[in-house]
Amino acid sequence: MAAIDAPAAARAPREVNRQARTAWGLASPALALMFLILLVPVVVAGVLSFTNYSLGNSGFDWVGFENYDRLFSRSTYEKMFVATFTYVAVVVPISVALGLGAALLVNSLGRIGDVYKTIYFLPVMATLLAMAIVWEFMLHPTIGVINQTLELSCGTFLEVVPFLANGCADGFPLWLGDRDYAIWVLCFIGIWQGFGFNMVLYLAGLTAVHRELYHAAEVDGAKSAWDRFRLVTWPALGPTTVFVVTISCIRAFQVFDTVEAFWPQGGGPNKSTYVMMFAIFEKGVQQNLIGIGSAITMLFLIFVMFLTLIQRWLVERKVHY
Amino acid sequence: MTRDIWKHMILVIGAIIVLAPFYMMLSYSFKSPGEIDRGVGGFFGAQEMMVDPRCVKLRDPNRDEIAAAAPQYPGKSDSEIRAAIMAQAEIDCSMRPVVFNYSKAFVEAPLLRYLLNGVIVTASIFFIQVLVALPAAYALAKLKFWGREAVFGLVLFCLLIPVHAIALPLYIMLAKVGLTNTYAALVVPWTISVFGIFLMRQFFMTVPDDLIDAARMDGMSEFAIVWRVMLPTAIPALLAFAIFSIVAHWNDYFWPRIVVTGSRDLFTPPLGLREFKGDADGSFFGPMMATATIIVAPLIVAFLVAQRRFIEGITLSGMK
Amino acid sequence: MAGLSISSVTKRFGNTEVLKGVTLEVADAEFVSLVGPSGCGKSTLLRIIAGLEDPTSGDIAIDGKSVTGMRAADRNLSMVFQSYALYPHLTVAENIAVPLRMRSLTTTQRLPLIGPFLPGAKDQRAEIATAVQKAAEMLEIFTLLDRKPGQLSGGQRQRVALGRALVRDPAAFLLDEPLSNLDAKLRVQTRAEIAQLHRRLNATFIYVTHDQVEAMTMSDRIAVMMGGEILQCDAPSVIYEDPSDIRVAEFIGSPKINILPIELSNAELTLFGQVLGRITEAAQAGIYQLGLRPEALKLTQTEPVMTGTVAHMENLGSEVYAHIALADQTSRLTLRAAAAERHNLRLGAEVGLGFDLQDGLIFDAVGKRQRRIEVAVTHVREVA
Repeated sequence: MAAIDAPAAARAPREVNRQARTAWGLASPALALMFLILLVPVVVAGVLSFTNYSLGNSGFDWVGFENYDRLFSRSTYEKMFVATFTYVAVVVPISVALGLGAALLVNSLGRIGDVYKTIYFLPVMATLLAMAIVWEFMLHPTIGVINQTLELSCGTFLEVVPFLANGCADGFPLWLGDRDYAIWVLCFIGIWQGFGFNMVLYLAGLTAVHRELYHAAEVDGAKSAWDRFRLVTWPALGPTTVFVVTISCIRAFQVFDTVEAFWPQGGGPNKSTYVMMFAIFEKGVQQNLIGIGSAITMLFLIFVMFLTLIQRWLVERKVHY
Repeated sequence: MTRDIWKHMILVIGAIIVLAPFYMMLSYSFKSPGEIDRGVGGFFGAQEMMVDPRCVKLRDPNRDEIAAAAPQYPGKSDSEIRAAIMAQAEIDCSMRPVVFNYSKAFVEAPLLRYLLNGVIVTASIFFIQVLVALPAAYALAKLKFWGREAVFGLVLFCLLIPVHAIALPLYIMLAKVGLTNTYAALVVPWTISVFGIFLMRQFFMTVPDDLIDAARMDGMSEFAIVWRVMLPTAIPALLAFAIFSIVAHWNDYFWPRIVVTGSRDLFTPPLGLREFKGDADGSFFGPMMATATIIVAPLIVAFLVAQRRFIEGITLSGMK
Repeated sequence: MAGLSISSVTKRFGNTEVLKGVTLEVADAEFVSLVGPSGCGKSTLLRIIAGLEDPTSGDIAIDGKSVTGMRAADRNLSMVFQSYALYPHLTVAENIAVPLRMRSLTTTQRLPLIGPFLPGAKDQRAEIATAVQKAAEMLEIFTLLDRKPGQLSGGQRQRVALGRALVRDPAAFLLDEPLSNLDAKLRVQTRAEIAQLHRRLNATFIYVTHDQVEAMTMSDRIAVMMGGEILQCDAPSVIYEDPSDIRVAEFIGSPKINILPIELSNAELTLFGQVLGRITEAAQAGIYQLGLRPEALKLTQTEPVMTGTVAHMENLGSEVYAHIALADQTSRLTLRAAAAERHNLRLGAEVGLGFDLQDGLIFDAVGKRQRRIEVAVTHVREVA
């Protein structure tokens, strides 16, 4: 027996070694690219954010926290934070709520609901830049459909609405050119584009809700739709909601296409839509101010990582059911 | 039933708002400039013959051309000849607005080239992503090796970094290597899909070990197992990932905008559309909308044909 | 506590008729099992009783009052679901409390944060807590009250589901295959516990199962359902010994009853050409079916009615089941023999079989029981 066992035992570690070598071999391209494309740039951005580097210059000076200092003192960057956080704070809750509402309605309609699902998902598939250009046309102050439609209400009973009355008297808003409206229009388009995605995620979440739970709730005396929502649907959608909110936040933070399409010259009327991604692009790429661009990049990364970590923590905490 | 009616009412209002830009885009792409300006013509426009002013202008004859054409118009003065040529030009240059818009979309800018670039870029990205991610995912899911936990931890960490967020340092690195304004610049940052690795790893975890052991008994190398055993079993997951990847990169505007600055030859469809918009004066709304329609159409049509697969693919990220 | 009456209930889903006019009276404090193969409509019937589905026609009455069209929430019934349907985000105590909270607290009192401070809420909450404690003690799950369902074993979840059902005082308990997700050992134990619970609560139980053993061991009466109808509803012993339909005889009893073709002509009953008995009364001549339980067959050396070879044996220790392949016949019979007879039954051995016609059940060609013929037969033993 021992004579047979011995070679087998000797072979085992060699087998393990061989497998380890193959494994590293298979994973090495991915590892190399991960380092090169994801980790090194984070370090590069971190380092450059403390310099005044520009592309084309042979060297650079260390400037310490000067770039970060600027971010928190100049009014331009204050506007950047205001625009970014306004956008996130408006788009995320509304697009999540609309997504949930649409999912509940669509789900309750059965097969007919699928038509709405398809329609609401279209903006997610469409090239945002192209759709932004269409919206720009529609929002054109004089020949745009939106103002033309609003003008139809002039002279009718609808003029009791103060907004319409003002518009009829003094002209309707310039929308994209108006510093009071620009950011809200941007938010609206963000919501328009994103809520269908949230709806689909919620619909997927709803299919996972056990149907017997609704029956149990019914037998237990949950009579109103609200009671059943509170008792069964909403708790069951908890993990979905955590995910939907996080991904909506990350997407909202990354808004760029619409801003660049509407205001290529820089951040909208009075910089009211000067969001972070656009700032990175404008400072870092267009104006070659790499130091400040890197500093914004670092802040951006911190926000996004922080959000994802919160999400993971919430998911782990709830994993026990 | 009455409860369903108010649900439909709410959903229909939503649908109208969602569809409005798509409707306008299509409608503008059919109409003549005049109709767009005045906001008339319904969905299709009247489709009356219109004259393309740029085309006519191009055919405005100079002195030599008038002289050359003189024999065809005996006994006419130069200005009469010019008028005749221009009249002919107007006839030749008149067309239906829809024809005008869509032909201009292809003639005014190398739209076909843009579309081809889009296909090249999205396809290369997807293939390299699979080529890199699949073996790594297999190693993480099915092979035991020292450091596996660390590698997987790294994957989880990298999931935190959106590529868009580190666009600036990536751009600097590419510029340093001299790769801006190349296909490589458009493709390289996306070659590693950490999400793809994660997704495939989760999928491979569900593949029974017996299948791999059977392949080993049959004498396959680990490398052969990845491509001849794991790849075929992963087709459904790969299909979903393909849709996820293709939609993201066909529609991406931010990254191409950064690394492609000069040559139109490298423009992806969104960049092309953006440039079109930059040049356009008011009369070019129609062709621009035609361009937008052409760029948006492939994904939308594919989506309508294979809805379930698309929704699966796009919501993949929900599995995290 | 109350009785329940189901009258001519039908249910259609599109073109398929799932229930074809079911009528059933359940007395107060009775334990009735609905048993049948899957797809027989038993779960649909239970859900119609619960109010989770509407019958296409027919009427359900609880305690003499019609509840047809009334919502499930208003029927005052408790239900235990096959998947237990516990709310995953609530603790065991909260799960058990749900039926009481839903009924005794108003919507605003149930709100988080401000709810507990509304007038009246405090007393109600104390009452609920007491009731939950009582239910938990009865089911011996008070150590689990703070856990979430995800942290419980299958058996514990099952108890919580029972607890949620009995925390209030419902008109009847409806149980939908509550044991089917438990392992075999736990199932036997819980079976006994549910039966005891029924005696202790003295409440009406309607119990759906596909497992005849559960039905036989727990119920006061069994309603055997097949193809959307109740074939027979009687006490377990009657269902087993005196089935009125061949499908009932075949469904209940394990191993399955043996069915042999017999012929009645010239007032003689014949099996494979042998005369078994004579009929004293006039009866329709033709083909009939003879049902013989495995224990009705006997091994005999002298004058066997049938002979065959032992094709397969199942030794259960206390007894032996032998599959006998009859000579010249394709059919096999199952014989149940005492352990002591094992030495007579070797694989491949030739055996002779006999039976007492009094133990046989006679059905006509379509499967209806022919008790009249059974009574009228006089047993003749002829030498083969």
